[in-house]
Amino acid sequence: MFITDLSAISPQLTYNENFLLGDKKSYESTVFNAIEPDYTELIPRNLLRRMGKAVRIGIGTGTPLINKNSELDGIIIGTANGGLEDCIRFLNQIIEYNEGTLTPTNFVQSTPNAIAGQLALIGKNRGYNITYTNGGTSFENAILDGILLFNEGNNKKLLIGGIEEISEYNYNIDSLSNKFKKETIKDSKLLESNTPGTICGEGAALFVVENESNNYYAQIKDVAQITYPSIEDLRECLTEMLERNNLKSTDIDSIMLGYNGDINHNHWYEYIENKIFKKSNSFTFKNLIGDYRTCSAFATWLSSHIINGEKKILKHISRRINNKNTPKNILIYNHFDTVRHGFILLSK
Amino acid sequence: MGKTREEIKVELKKHIVEYLNLLDIKPEEIEDDQPLFGPDLGLDSIDSVELIVLLDREYGLKINNPTEGRAILVDVNTIVDYILENK
Repeated sequence: MFITDLSAISPQLTYNENFLLGDKKSYESTVFNAIEPDYTELIPRNLLRRMGKAVRIGIGTGTPLINKNSELDGIIIGTANGGLEDCIRFLNQIIEYNEGTLTPTNFVQSTPNAIAGQLALIGKNRGYNITYTNGGTSFENAILDGILLFNEGNNKKLLIGGIEEISEYNYNIDSLSNKFKKETIKDSKLLESNTPGTICGEGAALFVVENESNNYYAQIKDVAQITYPSIEDLRECLTEMLERNNLKSTDIDSIMLGYNGDINHNHWYEYIENKIFKKSNSFTFKNLIGDYRTCSAFATWLSSHIINGEKKILKHISRRINNKNTPKNILIYNHFDTVRHGFILLSK
Repeated sequence: MGKTREEIKVELKKHIVEYLNLLDIKPEEIEDDQPLFGPDLGLDSIDSVELIVLLDREYGLKINNPTEGRAILVDVNTIVDYILENK
C-alpha cells in the first residue's frame, strides 16, 4: 500500500508546510486543541455551519485530497468516538425536552460515519464507504481493510484516515478514570513528567493510498493489533508481523513510539524500545499532539514525511539517534490506555 | 402584557440565527419579508425541521401538517403572524 498523498489537521501547523519547515507550536495546558484552517474556501457554508469539530476537521483534511484524487475507489475512516459532542447534545435534548420534538442536525452530525459519508457526498464518490470504531485501534482497522481490499485486486486507490475530536464528554469521563493529568504541563516536559495521566489531544490525518505507485511518500507494509496483551503476547504479535515481512528486528532502523507521559504506560514502550529494538532510532509524537484514540494516524503522517526525507522536525521528536541516515523502515507502536495495541510498519 | 409584533420579530430573528447557526449573518440583517428558503439565506429542508423545533421550544407551537408548515415558514412576517394568531 503506497501513500501517494496525505494531509493532517492537528495541534501543530500541519495543514500547511509550516510544521515541516520547523515551526513547532508549544503548549502549556491540559488539552492540545487542533489548529483549524479557514474552511470557507473549502467547505460550502451551508454544510460548514452544521458541522461539529470531528466532522469539520475530517472534511477539512479530506476534501483537498478528494479534489486532487477524484478517481478514489473508496473511503475508509477510523474514529473511536466520531462527533461525540453532538451525540451527547442530542441525547441531552431527549431528556431536556422529554422525548419531544428534537433537532435533527446534532443527530445527523454525531454518527461516526458522518465524516466518511460527507466526504463521499462532497467528492461524489459512490465507492466503498466504511467507518471503523474500534477504540484505540480504529485507524489500524482502517488500514487493515485497505490492505485486504488491495489484496482482493478490485481497488486501486483509496482514501483512509483517522479522526478524533476533544469533546467535553470524553474529556470529563476519561478524566474521571485518570486518563489525563490534572495539572497543566508544558509539551516539552510531557514525556518526562513521571506522573499518572497524559494530555488530551485531537486531530485528523488522511491518506490517499494506492496498490501500485512509483511516486510516493512511504509504503504501509503491514499492520498488526492486539487487545489486552501480556508482554509475551505483544512480543509474539510483533514477531509474527516482522516474520511475514521477512524482517528481523535489526532491519527496523527507526521506531515511532506512543510515549505519552503517563507513568503507568511507559513500560510498554520501554520494552519495545530497549528490549527488542535496542539499536534503532527512537522517535515520539505525542509531545506534539497529545493523546487520543486514533493518534496513530498522525504518527503515520509524521513517519511518512520522515521516510520521505523531512529533517527539520526530527529535533522535536528524537529520543535516541543511532543512525543519522534517512530511515528506510519505521515501526509505529502505540496503545491507548494499555488496552488496544497497534503496530504499523512503514518502509520507503 | 404580551410582547409586541416588533419585539417578537427581533427575538425570532435571534432564534433563527442561533438555531440554524447562520455564520456571519446578524439577526438584524434578516429582512422581515426576505424569503427564508430563497437564494439569500439558502436554507434547506433540514433547516425547515430546525424551524419547526424552534417554534415548539420557544413558543410552544407545534406544526404537524406539512402543507400548513409551507405557508408558515415563508419569511419572518409569516412566522410572526402564526405566533400572534396561535399564542
